[in-house]
Amino acid sequence: MAINISGISKRFGAFLALDKVDLHIQSGELLALLGPSGSGKTTLLRILGGLDRACGGTITFFGEAALGLTPRDRQVGFVFQHYSLFRHMTVRDNVAFGLDVRPRRDRLPRAVISERVARLLELVQLAPLADRYPAQLSGGQRQRVALARALAIEPKVLLLDEPFGALDAKVRKELRRWLRRLHDEMNITSIFVTHDQEEALEVADRVVVMNNGRIEQVGAPGEVYDHPASPFVYDFLGNVNRFECIISDGTAKIVSIGLTMPAIGAEPGPALAFVRPHDIELIRLDAATGDAGGGGVACARVRHIHAIGPTARIELDIEGHRFEAVMDQDRLRCLGVRAGDWCGVRLTRPRLFSSNSAALIQE
Amino acid sequence: MLAKSTASAYGGRPALQDPAWLRWTLIGTALAFLALFVALPLLTVFIEALHRGFGAYFAALVEPDALSAMWLTLLVAGIAVPLNLVFGILSAWAITKFEFLGKSFLITLIDLPFSVSPVISGMVYVLLFGLHGWFGPWLRAHDLQIVFAVPGLVLATIFVTFPFVARELIPLMQSQGIEEEEAAASLGATGWQIFWRITLPNIRWALLYGVLLCNARAMGEFGAVSVVSGHVRGLTNTMPLHVEILYNEYNFVAAFAVASLLALLALVTLAVKSVVEWRWGEDISGRRDQG
Amino acid sequence: MEPQEASICLAPPLSAVKPPWYAFVLGLAKVVSLSHERGLFRATRGSRGMLVRYSILPGFGLTLGISMAWLGLIVLVPLAALAIHAGGLGWSGFWAEVSTPRVLSAFRVSCTTALAAALINVVFGLLVAWVLVRYRFPGQRLVDALVDLPFALPTAVAGIALTSLYATNGWIGSILAEWGVKVAFTPLGIVVALTFIGLPFVVRTVEPVLQDLAPEEEEVAMSLGASRWQTFIRVILPALTPALLTGFALAFARGLGEYGSVIFIAGNMPGISEIVPLLIIIKLEQFSYQGATAIGTLMLVLSFILLLVINLLQAWMRGRHHVS
Repeated sequence: MAINISGISKRFGAFLALDKVDLHIQSGELLALLGPSGSGKTTLLRILGGLDRACGGTITFFGEAALGLTPRDRQVGFVFQHYSLFRHMTVRDNVAFGLDVRPRRDRLPRAVISERVARLLELVQLAPLADRYPAQLSGGQRQRVALARALAIEPKVLLLDEPFGALDAKVRKELRRWLRRLHDEMNITSIFVTHDQEEALEVADRVVVMNNGRIEQVGAPGEVYDHPASPFVYDFLGNVNRFECIISDGTAKIVSIGLTMPAIGAEPGPALAFVRPHDIELIRLDAATGDAGGGGVACARVRHIHAIGPTARIELDIEGHRFEAVMDQDRLRCLGVRAGDWCGVRLTRPRLFSSNSAALIQE
Repeated sequence: MLAKSTASAYGGRPALQDPAWLRWTLIGTALAFLALFVALPLLTVFIEALHRGFGAYFAALVEPDALSAMWLTLLVAGIAVPLNLVFGILSAWAITKFEFLGKSFLITLIDLPFSVSPVISGMVYVLLFGLHGWFGPWLRAHDLQIVFAVPGLVLATIFVTFPFVARELIPLMQSQGIEEEEAAASLGATGWQIFWRITLPNIRWALLYGVLLCNARAMGEFGAVSVVSGHVRGLTNTMPLHVEILYNEYNFVAAFAVASLLALLALVTLAVKSVVEWRWGEDISGRRDQG
Repeated sequence: MEPQEASICLAPPLSAVKPPWYAFVLGLAKVVSLSHERGLFRATRGSRGMLVRYSILPGFGLTLGISMAWLGLIVLVPLAALAIHAGGLGWSGFWAEVSTPRVLSAFRVSCTTALAAALINVVFGLLVAWVLVRYRFPGQRLVDALVDLPFALPTAVAGIALTSLYATNGWIGSILAEWGVKVAFTPLGIVVALTFIGLPFVVRTVEPVLQDLAPEEEEVAMSLGASRWQTFIRVILPALTPALLTGFALAFARGLGEYGSVIFIAGNMPGISEIVPLLIIIKLEQFSYQGATAIGTLMLVLSFILLLVINLLQAWMRGRHHVS
């Protein structure tokens, strides 16, 4: 166990940024803190890095209590959202800074420092730019300098705040794959903050979804995507259709589109059904006439089809209630459905949550 | 920058370009106004100072009272400016690097001397340390003199030049934020290392400019020191006060000769400011060049 | 004159002599250190409210403590002395001092001349700022530097220069005299001096706002059929209003308190061209501390009101800025 966070709270005036957060981070893993802005993810990262102070709780780094320690003693490397490179120093001096400022007795000899800096610049592929100033670099290059600077102090833990936030889409994709490869090579316990679900799901070993200062769910990317633990996680990770429904006598009825589904043993009352667009099946109406409106199939009007790339997005409408389905272009072509047509709709994998407690009722 | 034509700064936006006649009229009016109110007065100083020739000019400058006024001015500025430099850096650090209650109140307090009449700035010290002031009798009993002596001049000058350095630094440091300092801290730098190696290089030009302005005002202050000086020739007369005495004695050449030195100081200040702004404009205005 | 004397007076050996303010300095130091110890200026935990937000950066207590102590000693204590002196006068005493015809007319002269100069500066300051931002012409850099001259030139130097320029035998004064206009040694002279002093306040307040004005807004206005003049009046001017008002208030406040540049050119005739700061000095020279205190307090109150107005205007400016 690398880091143990228990009961960490943080309050800014009246605003509760973190509410008794517990989290265990394994040695060598790459962990994503994912959440909307204001969810507390950056605050948690700053507390881990010693840049901010918690109002309550404990943190241990490799079994050692960390809250009283300075950043230097924690041996963490912090990569800031806007890089925060020292603008008056060259790339080389930026990377060397953490080694230069050590107390004299701990300081490495000059030659060792410059050798290590050269190695790091090689690693982040910036050796030719060592004498440039930050203002002369592109966003992606600055980010890599920031990373090299944090790695120079040989941290046991690497913390990254929105590492790709300020980059454009293409660079962002390249850089996050590169970060993943780098992590696999160096195997430093790393935690990064992001609000981009795609980024978190692609790069991280485990994803921590945060909301309103609390952890909503922790799990491997596939796990949180396929089995969201709360309506929030469902909403936040990927597109989803949300239907209000009412449970009675072991069935849930979506009033707006007239579909029902089994909800055996559930408490009667209002609930929410979540269905991913690719879990909505379209059926040609002539094949579905037999049981349209019955147990599993509703009649919907196709409003619009966005067909770009391999998948098609289909906007559907049942009596003014709009929702969305996604399917392969090939399947859509086989179905032969066009905008304006009527077709049958079946929900293949709905998940029910109680409206009151947001608790999962049924997969 | 010195374009040959009067092309508009909005050259790429033809719709926003004013017609040439309007441009010339406005430029002409603005220049005439500046000439009448700013350029000619400056020119006058040097012309009046030199209109009896260089001999009379230099004679006025090396006269003992003039020399002692120069020495006193240097002394007063030499004490007041370093003190306000230290204060400016400390207060700017507290104000820009931390969040605390009452911060805007503190900024207002620092600005206060700007909005108080210099005469009042001097008067308050007379009320405190003058013969009839609070501490007057006690000072007299101990044979100490503050008002109508050098300490009074220094105090009044400190009061008046108090905001200059802080005022230059605060907006710049505010716009630079604390991220670089935090990054340095996260890399293990100590407080001193953060200040010397990160903060100071980022603010050096604004600091230089603030010190220059502070110095220009300290050497040129008139109203406040006039109240506390007592106008003892050769003893408590700073250069501006010496100018006044000479002028009131109708010794115009000498008055303008000493004044020309002060005008030169102002010109040097402005020249350095222009050069600094031109070369390191971004460092001063606090415009961020990254992310 | 002697430097030793200065150091003796500024920092007497505390063990040898204990002046009355010794207790005060000690008290102030104690308050600062105590509040520091008790964490008044430190990060406080949740329930006690956040007086200060925690920061990893060091030196908060030290820098704030020294700043406050310095501020207190140099600015607050002397101003408090003035206020207490004024309080000692009582309402009737205060009124008796400031209601004399000479004082009232001094206030009238100061206010009207400062107002006139500030108005002139609003018009010409806007013009100068416009020309500097919107046009390019030879010598622009020089003109730009010249605008700051009133900030940097000692006021006494400006005073004697303006006087000799605008006196009836001076370059400009002699031309104006032919037209029957007398500037120096009249209230008009005061306006000239205050215009000189106030110019950079307006230019330097308006300039950045004019620079940040989005040209797209003007293009939109013109594409909707507005003429250049209509665009200026209805799009540009409203955007500049807060800055112009701020510049006006700054120039006015500076003009009210200005002394050095005015006294040479004013003529200083009681009731006609005598300004308030000069009257304060005259009272002090006559050892009429009560009169000086009363007038000074009234001036100070005026400055505080103006400071408040300026702060509000600046808040308004910032608010505008963020919206656009």
